[in-house]
Amino acid sequence: MATIEVQRQMLPILNSPNQGARFYNPELPSSEPFVPGHRTCAGCGPSIQYRMTSKAAGDNTILVGPTGCMYVANSSYLCTPYNVPWAHTQIGSAGSFTAGVAAAYEAMIRKGKWKGKFPNIICEAGDGSASDIGLASISGALYRNHDCLIICYDNEQYANTGIQASSRTPYGGMTTFSPPGPEVPEGKKLYPKDLARMMAAGHPHCYVATASVGYPIDLMNKVRKGLNHKGAAYLMVYTPCQKGFVYETPRSIDLGRLVVECGLYPMWEWNPEKREFDYSFRPASMRPVSEYLKLQGRFGHLHAEHIANLQKFANQQWKMVGVQVPEALIQAADAKNLVNMAAASEAAAVAETV
Amino acid sequence: MPTVTEAKKRMVRINGCVASAQAAKYADVDVIAAYPIRPYTATMMALAQMVANGELDAEYIVADSEHSQLSIAHGASSSGARVFTGSSGVGVQFAYELYSPISGSRMPVQMMIADRTLDPPGDFGSEHTDALSTRDMGWIMGWSCDAQEAFDNHLIAYRIGEDPRVLLPQMVCQDGFFVSHITGDVELPDTGQVKEFLPPYKHPYPLDPRHPVSHGPQIMPEQGPPLQLERARAMEGSMAVIEEVHEEFAKIFGRKYDPWLEEFMTDDADVVFFLQGAHAVTARFAIQHMRERGLKVGMVRLRTIRPYPTDRVRESLSKFKVVGVIETNMGLGGVSSGGALYAEAAAALYESDKRPLVLSFMAGMGGEAIVLKEFYWMTEKMLEAQRRGKIEKRTHWVGFEE
Amino acid sequence: MSTKNTHIPEWLTVPFAGITPAPTQEKGQDLFPTGNWRSIRPVYRDKLPPCNNACGTNEKIQGYLDLVKRGKYLDAYALIKEDMPFPSVTGRVCYHPCEQACNRGKYDEAISIRAVERFLGDLGQALTNDVVKAGKPNGKKVAVVGSGPAGHSAAYQLARMGYKVTILEKSPKAGGLNRGGIPDWVLPQNILDREIERLEQLGITIKTGVEVGKDVSWDDLKKDYDACVLAIGLTEPNSVRAEGENKDGVLYGLPFLRDIGMGSSKVKLGARVAVIGGGNTAIDCAREALRQGAAEVTMITVEGNTKEMPASPEDLHDMLEEGVELLHGRAVTAVLGNGKCEGLHLHKARFQGAINASPIIVDREAPAERFAVDNVIIAIGQHASLKWLPAEFKNERGTIKMDKFGRLGDTNFFAAGDIAQAGSGQPLMVVNAVGDGKRVAFNLDKVMRGEALQPRTIPVDVIFDLNRMNMTYFPHFPRVQQDMLQPASRKKTQQEVIQPFTEEQAVEEANRCFSCGTCNACDNCYLVCPEPCIARPERSNGLYKILVDYCKGCRVCIEECPTGCLEGVPELDFDTGVVRMDTAFAISPGLHGRQAEQLRNLAERAPKNI
Repeated sequence: MATIEVQRQMLPILNSPNQGARFYNPELPSSEPFVPGHRTCAGCGPSIQYRMTSKAAGDNTILVGPTGCMYVANSSYLCTPYNVPWAHTQIGSAGSFTAGVAAAYEAMIRKGKWKGKFPNIICEAGDGSASDIGLASISGALYRNHDCLIICYDNEQYANTGIQASSRTPYGGMTTFSPPGPEVPEGKKLYPKDLARMMAAGHPHCYVATASVGYPIDLMNKVRKGLNHKGAAYLMVYTPCQKGFVYETPRSIDLGRLVVECGLYPMWEWNPEKREFDYSFRPASMRPVSEYLKLQGRFGHLHAEHIANLQKFANQQWKMVGVQVPEALIQAADAKNLVNMAAASEAAAVAETV
Repeated sequence: MPTVTEAKKRMVRINGCVASAQAAKYADVDVIAAYPIRPYTATMMALAQMVANGELDAEYIVADSEHSQLSIAHGASSSGARVFTGSSGVGVQFAYELYSPISGSRMPVQMMIADRTLDPPGDFGSEHTDALSTRDMGWIMGWSCDAQEAFDNHLIAYRIGEDPRVLLPQMVCQDGFFVSHITGDVELPDTGQVKEFLPPYKHPYPLDPRHPVSHGPQIMPEQGPPLQLERARAMEGSMAVIEEVHEEFAKIFGRKYDPWLEEFMTDDADVVFFLQGAHAVTARFAIQHMRERGLKVGMVRLRTIRPYPTDRVRESLSKFKVVGVIETNMGLGGVSSGGALYAEAAAALYESDKRPLVLSFMAGMGGEAIVLKEFYWMTEKMLEAQRRGKIEKRTHWVGFEE
Repeated sequence: MSTKNTHIPEWLTVPFAGITPAPTQEKGQDLFPTGNWRSIRPVYRDKLPPCNNACGTNEKIQGYLDLVKRGKYLDAYALIKEDMPFPSVTGRVCYHPCEQACNRGKYDEAISIRAVERFLGDLGQALTNDVVKAGKPNGKKVAVVGSGPAGHSAAYQLARMGYKVTILEKSPKAGGLNRGGIPDWVLPQNILDREIERLEQLGITIKTGVEVGKDVSWDDLKKDYDACVLAIGLTEPNSVRAEGENKDGVLYGLPFLRDIGMGSSKVKLGARVAVIGGGNTAIDCAREALRQGAAEVTMITVEGNTKEMPASPEDLHDMLEEGVELLHGRAVTAVLGNGKCEGLHLHKARFQGAINASPIIVDREAPAERFAVDNVIIAIGQHASLKWLPAEFKNERGTIKMDKFGRLGDTNFFAAGDIAQAGSGQPLMVVNAVGDGKRVAFNLDKVMRGEALQPRTIPVDVIFDLNRMNMTYFPHFPRVQQDMLQPASRKKTQQEVIQPFTEEQAVEEANRCFSCGTCNACDNCYLVCPEPCIARPERSNGLYKILVDYCKGCRVCIEECPTGCLEGVPELDFDTGVVRMDTAFAISPGLHGRQAEQLRNLAERAPKNI
């Protein structure tokens, strides 16, 4: 059978001084596949991610949106913000629907039914979809190596349904399914699933990376690397949710940096050619987890011992990416050295009145 | 560009699963989503081999579940590809979430179902409950009774489903084992015939970067009903198309099917069996046997249950004194405490001036063949009702009663 | 059929299967404007960077650093030339108050602004034709008396406005203090020559050897010209009023340097030289003395330590490196020697009050220290020579009496530079003279056009607080150092001590600029907006627009603005008309000037087109 060779896109990698957006970047694409006029909350982290991702991908792109906030809040009937093709799919169908789109284009281009370069096929799954209900379907898509990019926009909870715990919700994170109470003072007792690492370990032929909205150019480059990789790619992106995390809206990007600087969101890439992790990303500084926690209402109930537990967790994460943990952070993992956050604010209030 | 190997018309002896696979090949499908479950697996095995042999150019995807199979099919169809998938038994149920989204987004996905009893316990035999439980999800649905009909129905269903006036998914069902695993003579058509009959699939609004659209956005409550009404109309509107396509099929391939009902020896019948699928083959034999002994018995086989030909069923069944519905499905606690088909038949007759008596026979359950003795037994029950002019017992579990 | 005769009401008519057409990138989707969620609106409001504010002539320093950063050197040069006629000179000699004010100094090290200015100045020197052109002739003739920094600046700005300018200079060569007050090893004369050439290219006539009061009179000026700028400087050196100051071997700072600069010096220095004074001229004299053959140079200051000295710390450092000794807290009370200077009498001394701004108290009770020298160079400032000036325009400080616009009464005479600024509290530095010359030129123009004079506006908002910026975006980087000749080799030659920046160095240093309070088109707001409702219609210059129909007021852009240019303004202020800003405006014509212009017109356009 005579077949047509599938032409694929190669997106240039953006120059990234300091991994941030500090300097005007002339290479930044002008295309805006995501336009304003949607119902996401002010300062929405996933929305920031959505915009950066779609911008990095450009116009020859198809977006797949499993159920989640980026479906419910973004796509309003008769006024969707996507000016590239977008399709809703079921929350458990993240990987499979995407695989179907990718397979369709493989076949249609090969058989001459569609002419043009193979589109970027991006699935934007929330962490509920990606880590829980759609895990198998995503694993299937990665395993089968469809030429697509599956993004888990990780806001660490089921936000769309009113803030319920997902398997990505951090230890101590308050949600409506993990509320703190006298018997369960920390709220969520379980530690989050190491989703991205699981994807890298289980699908070593795929490009897998973690990213954060705190590092826009880095995020956009990882999107492009994932799209350029011939085959499946997986990206887990930290996207703070002001509604669920309970923080002031202007801090969205700031939290995206802090979570990395506090060691709670290790940034790495899995290189499928070399079959090794690239741990070279280093944030500008290392901070104790309390600096990240104190900005968020969902951690407001934590006691010193819980913060120490989270610091311990962060220290383990630092070690996993080959960073020597400084003495101060080791100290901070001991509850004795920490003050209860609530008590600290009380003390501050008292100090002010005296 | 030809992707299916050019072929001339020829006769082959194949089973229903392979016939379905052949039909998919002739339809030049682009994406196939497979997942193993007996008995339909053989279809996917055959397709895998065709792809491996280069007879068919398609993306052959081994999904991670039936849910994924249907999602893949949904995604591929949304992108403009012709899609083929299938399942059996609990597999059909595992994918349940997707049935409404696929028909709601008006994607003409085609699904082959070789029926299998639902668990528990693990039973390979055919029962129609798997597919029938999805009958109200907006899929065009009907049963074939042999391999040739299965082959034909696949092509016909694609043509109907992809018609721009319809755009609905289709379930092309066949009984597990009785059709899927029993060989029969199948005429494989000339490639040119298929090309003439089945134009390339073209969805009006696919996911195409050059013409961006959003599929399935969130709606306000008041925007729901018009969408549902649209889908309901599409289903109703498909009836005319179904008839048209069957005519067309007969013209090109020379095999004429009534799209709705097959009537067998009903001209002077007092009592008839009303059934779907493969048991029609044994029923035909049994009816002939009983006719030779003077029993005025016939058979009405329902070929398309969705959309349901209410008027045709009423017109047809009103002619008889007694109708015995052979269920081959479970309708636990339903209208007849037996199967679901009784309700369909009885409801169609409600508006009739001459309502026959309707009995529900729980026969062929668990994939057991209905034997001649049982046809006699059921006929006897119908004749008894005819004699008495009323029904004493609505539902009979055949083989469990005197 | 059951759906027969069911109609979908028109207002609920739906496209096929709810499939929604995509919005366009150009128009966006305009069905769901979310702007009404907002209570605070982000507004681009350029503040004045402290460098611009501190500069004597308010160079748009942030602006040209930003252009250098982007490799647009010619644009940067053109921008600097708006306020500064000779960046090649100030790039070498300026005492750079901008660098002292630089916010980066609080963070790691101040930007080496002067070095970048010199890079641009040298670039301008190399151009065949300057970027600056003379204005359309307006038929008016102006005389500028003096060709020092103030006169040069005034003449330059007037020529740009279309005046026919004649410079009258009493020395044989034009340049004034730039030539006479600055040694060659700081400012090679060919650099200055080139800048004077540029003036002539603007159509300015330079008459050298013409002294006001001798060759031309007040009345001549009044008669021959429509207006006149007096930028005559302070020409007469101050004396220390020490006994025996008239002895041979006693020199005065500025004439000492001037004669060397003009090539008319007949001075032969002895081995031991003392320099009296703690300012920049004193330092230049001390270092020049080394180059003129002195073996031991000592600088004698009333100031008690180096910190108190009114001199640029770098120059002081370079001087000490060359081996000049310091003697603090002393005043010269007598010059000793028989007809010729052989030594000095020194007494302990201090300022009565503020350093350099109060009388000196000399402790004459203590026995005098004897200090053996062959020459003494007195460099403690100058005063004016105004014998020719009508008495009504003289003031009690011995300078010109004028109004706050530099105008002499209601005449068309203006004064600029040191002569105008002496005693005003303004530092008497090149850049301040340039600024004064510029402002006077504009005032003169206003008078000539019959417009009312406006007092200098005080900068509304200068960013001094680093908390108003997002420092996350500024990694620490050390200042790029300019290369220098080695002290041992340089102190005997007239070679330029400080070496220029290479292009790479200039860009690297410009990159360190925070762009305090000013949009530098970094794209941060544009990238982090979740909507995104910040549009950048052009690719190259960062003219951002906030689509107010959609902005939800999350303020992420404000938080992430590195420079503090973006700020939040309560939405109420927009409705009450207290502040009427469409989406942005700039208070200073920085890089954002054009945007401000464009955006001020927005009110006339329908909101949907914005």
